[in-house]
Amino acid sequence: MSTRGLQKEATRQRVVAAARDLFDSHGYEATTVREIARRAGVSVGSVFTTFRSKGDVLSQVMEERLGALYSELDRMTPKLRGSTCDRLRSIFAIHCGFEASRHRLFLAHIAAAYDWTASGDARPYGRTPRLREIIGDCLADGVARGDVDPRADMAQIVDLLMAAYAWTYRLVAWEGADAETLSGVMDRQIGLIAQGFEPRALQSA
Amino acid sequence: MNTVTDKVSCDQATARPLTRRAMAKQQTRSKVMIAARGLFREKGYEGATIRDIANAAGMSTGAVFANFADKSDLFQAITVEDVMELTVAMRGAAERGRGIEDALLKMFAAGYAYYKPQMPLARAAFAVSWSAQDGLALRDLPCMNNILELIGEQMSLAVGRGELSQEAEVRLRSQMLYDAYLANFGQAVFNGWSLDALSARMRDQIRILLSGARRG
Repeated sequence: MSTRGLQKEATRQRVVAAARDLFDSHGYEATTVREIARRAGVSVGSVFTTFRSKGDVLSQVMEERLGALYSELDRMTPKLRGSTCDRLRSIFAIHCGFEASRHRLFLAHIAAAYDWTASGDARPYGRTPRLREIIGDCLADGVARGDVDPRADMAQIVDLLMAAYAWTYRLVAWEGADAETLSGVMDRQIGLIAQGFEPRALQSA
Repeated sequence: MNTVTDKVSCDQATARPLTRRAMAKQQTRSKVMIAARGLFREKGYEGATIRDIANAAGMSTGAVFANFADKSDLFQAITVEDVMELTVAMRGAAERGRGIEDALLKMFAAGYAYYKPQMPLARAAFAVSWSAQDGLALRDLPCMNNILELIGEQMSLAVGRGELSQEAEVRLRSQMLYDAYLANFGQAVFNGWSLDALSARMRDQIRILLSGARRG
């Protein structure tokens, strides 16, 4: 990478780190680009040569954050044992622990996704292909192990799990629930969805 | 006796002519709400200002503030209007259903059909409900539980008919059905899904979520 390229990348990283802290402590709306620049120790101008908008900064903050979460999931999933239902519970428990700790940041992300004045550059909430993949793999393994009905519509199951999670997250957002409460609710919901994908023979047994 | 007095007071309330002043106020209110709907649809909640709304309604910002405390108050009034109308539509649809799956599907389809022509407004409502500042007031509106209660009613009726088992965990299942219904709005908002696509998705989701609650 050229010196110029290196410098640009260094600025990008500093801005992302500063923005992450500010979004999380003050919220997205209340944070200005000027404040982000000041905290990162760069000029407002150089923020805008690296990012298209505040929405773009938010997207990159989230991408970095989710990247860390997915490496954690990749590290943990091979170690999971037990039924598919329990493995899914563990996957979501890891997810809950991660997101509950920085909930203002995630809230900013969700609100920005639905707000088209901020949007355009903001990546809509819930488009998390990597998480879908991890859940999909878990279900596919379940078919191999025999506790997931091969005729079940896997894409639908993944969608339902994601929907359950996204809306259960409101307990954190709206009621200040902690990670443990959140994953407790998820455990019950995953159990219920599992009734829809377990083979009939297993259910009656 | 109670019903008689209730009826009398109710009749009096509707029969009493509005004063000119009250009528003018009501007209202003509805003009503001129509203008606000248009702007929220076009610019989103954050993008629309009281000044824009006043301009579009052809009045001063002072006149807007005489009727609504602030933008959040105005948005709430619109939301209440919509949710009330939506509740009637969804209840009617559920009553036409045959069996629990059909009743739920018809009900959710009515919900999507209601918002389809005004999806940007639904999108604005989601944005506000998640926002830190104005979300709480919106979420605390009593009518916000209407749809969840409708789902619960249908589920309980199905338990009563013996269609679903006594151990159907009605509350949890109702919440999850509601969550799935809401989550699908994302497909309509971001991916432009048609009503048929939304219904097809919902049909599968209902089947999966009810599969453990079936009797026998």
